[in-house]
Amino acid sequence: MLALSSFVLLLGAAPPPPMVGVSVAVRGPNGQPIANAVVTIRLVGRATPPARAGAGYAVRQQNIQFNPFLLVVPVNADVSFPNFDQVRHQVYSFSPAKRFELKLYAREQNRTVRFDRAGPVSLGCNIHDQMTAFIYVTDSAFTAKTDASGNVSLAGVPQGAVTISVWHPYLRAPGNQVSRQINLGDGAREAFTVVLRMPPATSSSY
Amino acid sequence: MASWLKRLGTLVAAVLIASPGYARAQSAIELFTPETVAAAGDIRVIGVDGETSWLDGGYGKTRFDTDSTNRGFRIEPQAVEGDLIWTPRFSWSLGGTVVATAQQGQDNAVDLSEAFLTYKPLLGGGGKLTVRGGLFWPPVSLEHTGPEWRVRDTITPSAINSWIGDEVKVAGLEAQVTRAIGGGRLSATAAIFGLNDTSGTLLAFRGWALHDQKAAAFGLQPLPPLNAFMIYAQAPKTRPVIELDNRPGFYGKLDWAPTAWLDLQAFHYDNRGNPEAVTPTLQWGWRTKFDNLGAVLTFGDWQVRAQGMAGKTLMGFAKNGRSWVDTTFRSGYMMATRNFARGSASVRVEAFGTTSLGSKLGRDWSEKGWALTAAGRRDIGKNLSVLVEAMHVDNRKDARVFVGLAPDQHQTLIQFALRLHL
Repeated sequence: MLALSSFVLLLGAAPPPPMVGVSVAVRGPNGQPIANAVVTIRLVGRATPPARAGAGYAVRQQNIQFNPFLLVVPVNADVSFPNFDQVRHQVYSFSPAKRFELKLYAREQNRTVRFDRAGPVSLGCNIHDQMTAFIYVTDSAFTAKTDASGNVSLAGVPQGAVTISVWHPYLRAPGNQVSRQINLGDGAREAFTVVLRMPPATSSSY
Repeated sequence: MASWLKRLGTLVAAVLIASPGYARAQSAIELFTPETVAAAGDIRVIGVDGETSWLDGGYGKTRFDTDSTNRGFRIEPQAVEGDLIWTPRFSWSLGGTVVATAQQGQDNAVDLSEAFLTYKPLLGGGGKLTVRGGLFWPPVSLEHTGPEWRVRDTITPSAINSWIGDEVKVAGLEAQVTRAIGGGRLSATAAIFGLNDTSGTLLAFRGWALHDQKAAAFGLQPLPPLNAFMIYAQAPKTRPVIELDNRPGFYGKLDWAPTAWLDLQAFHYDNRGNPEAVTPTLQWGWRTKFDNLGAVLTFGDWQVRAQGMAGKTLMGFAKNGRSWVDTTFRSGYMMATRNFARGSASVRVEAFGTTSLGSKLGRDWSEKGWALTAAGRRDIGKNLSVLVEAMHVDNRKDARVFVGLAPDQHQTLIQFALRLHL
C-alpha cells in the first residue's frame, strides 16, 4: 500500500526543471550604467515562487536623507525606520501599495511598518521636502536591484518561458517599467537600454 | 539583602516602562531645546573708500564709509549683527519662527526681525500646502536662506535683495500650494498683507543700495538729505513696518521647476498703499508695485542665479496728474556660484536705475549705476563660516550736487566676515 501510493506520488510530481542563472545589465542610451533598477523575473504559465521574508530591512533617516535610496523587500516584510538625526521626521507614502504616516521623533529607533502588498512605494518627509526614497515590494523570489555598475545576477531561475521586467523610479515608460519575455535555456545574459527622466525637483528653498 | 533590592528595582523599572506615561514621554511640543534655539553673530573687518554711506545720512550706496575728513581708503573692525533665532514646534504640523536681531547702525539696540507661525499639514496624494502668518519677508530673494534670512554665499546681497531687506517686510497671511507636474514641480503662492505702506521711500529718495542692514519691526531707516519741499513733508527717517491706510496689499508668486536643474519664478507685489495718507510724524503712504523674475540653473557644482525687477512707486498729492513722487525703478543681476565641499565662490554683476518724474521729486533724483562683486565662503566645522568679499559700485545721481558732491561716485568695499552659528 505504501509502495503503491509512493509510486502514484512519483508519477504525479513532474521532475523539477533545471535551475539556471540570469545576468541582467541595465544601461542608459549612451551606455552609462543604471544603478537602482529593480529586475524581476516571473515564470510564464507556472506559479512564480514567492519571495521569502527575511529580517533586518531598514530605511534609515540620517543627515536629513533616507538611506538607502531604494530598498527591495518581499511582501509582508517588516521594515524599520530608525531616525539617527537630532530632528524629527514625518515620513509618509501615498502609494497604492502602502499608504502610511510615521511621526518619528529625534533619534527614535524602534518603529517598523509591514508592507503587505506588492508594488513600488514612494517615501517622503513632510518636514524636509528634499528627502525622497523608494521601497519596492516584490512577490517574486527572483528580484534584485542593479548595483553601481548597472548589473545584477539572479540564480536558481527555472528554465522555460519567463518575463524579465526592469523598474526604476525615473524610468520613462508606462508604470516606470519595461518588460520582455524570453525562453530561458542554459542561462541568459540580458541587456536592457532604458531612458530615465531627470529626477524631479524637490522643493525650492527660496 | 542586595539581591531582593535588585529584584525590587527591576520590578519598579518594569512597571514604569510598561506605563503609558513613559511610552509617550516625548511630546509633539518642543519649545526650548538645542534644536529650537540658536544664536548667530557676524563680525567683520572692512576696508572702504568713497562717500558717506546712506546709513550715515549720505548718498553712499554701501553700508560702510570712510571718515568725513579723510576720503581715502580705511580699514577697521566692525561688530555687525547678532541674532537670536527661536523655532519652536507646537505640533507635527505647526511651528513658529521668531528672530530677534541686534544690528549695528540701528537706533534700537535689539529689535524684532521676523515672527511668524508656519502650518504644514500632511495632505493626501501629491499636493503640499504651507501657510505662514505673521511678520516676514516675501519670497523674492534667491540669495537669502535660513530662518534668520542671511545671505548664503556673499556678504552683501544684490541691490534688488538689499531693497527687499531694507524696506519690503510684510505682516500678513501667506499660502503656498505645490504639486508635482510631469517630471517637475509647480508652486503657487499668494499672500494678503499690511504694515508695508512705506515701501518705496528709500528707493525714491536714496535710490538703490547694496548692504545688509535689514528692516526691523520697530526701527527706522535713514534718508539722504531731502530737497527744500520734501524737508517739510517727509520725516528724515522712514519707518518700514507701518500700516497707514488700513488697506491690505497682496503679492503672488509662481515657481516652476520643470527639472532638477532649472527653477523659474515670477512674483508680483502691490501694497495698495494710499499715496495721500500721512501720519502726524510725516510718514507717508506709498503706492508701490513691482514684478520680479528669477531663475536658478544648477549643473553639478555650479549654480547660476539671476533676478530682474521693475516697479513703480507713488507718494503725495497729484498735481496736474503727476504725484509729488513718481519713481519707476529697475534692476537686474546675474550671479555664478561654484560650490565646494565646505564653501563656495561667487561672482555677481548687476545694474540698477530709477527714473524720478514726480512733481516735487524731479529728474535730478533719477539714478543709474552698476556693481561688481566677488566673494568666497569657507565653512569651518558646524558653527563657523569665514567670508571675504570685494565689491565695487559705480553710479550717477544728479541730486548729489545739492550737497556739494559730484553726481558720479564710485566706491570699493572689501570685507572679511566671521559668522558664528550656535
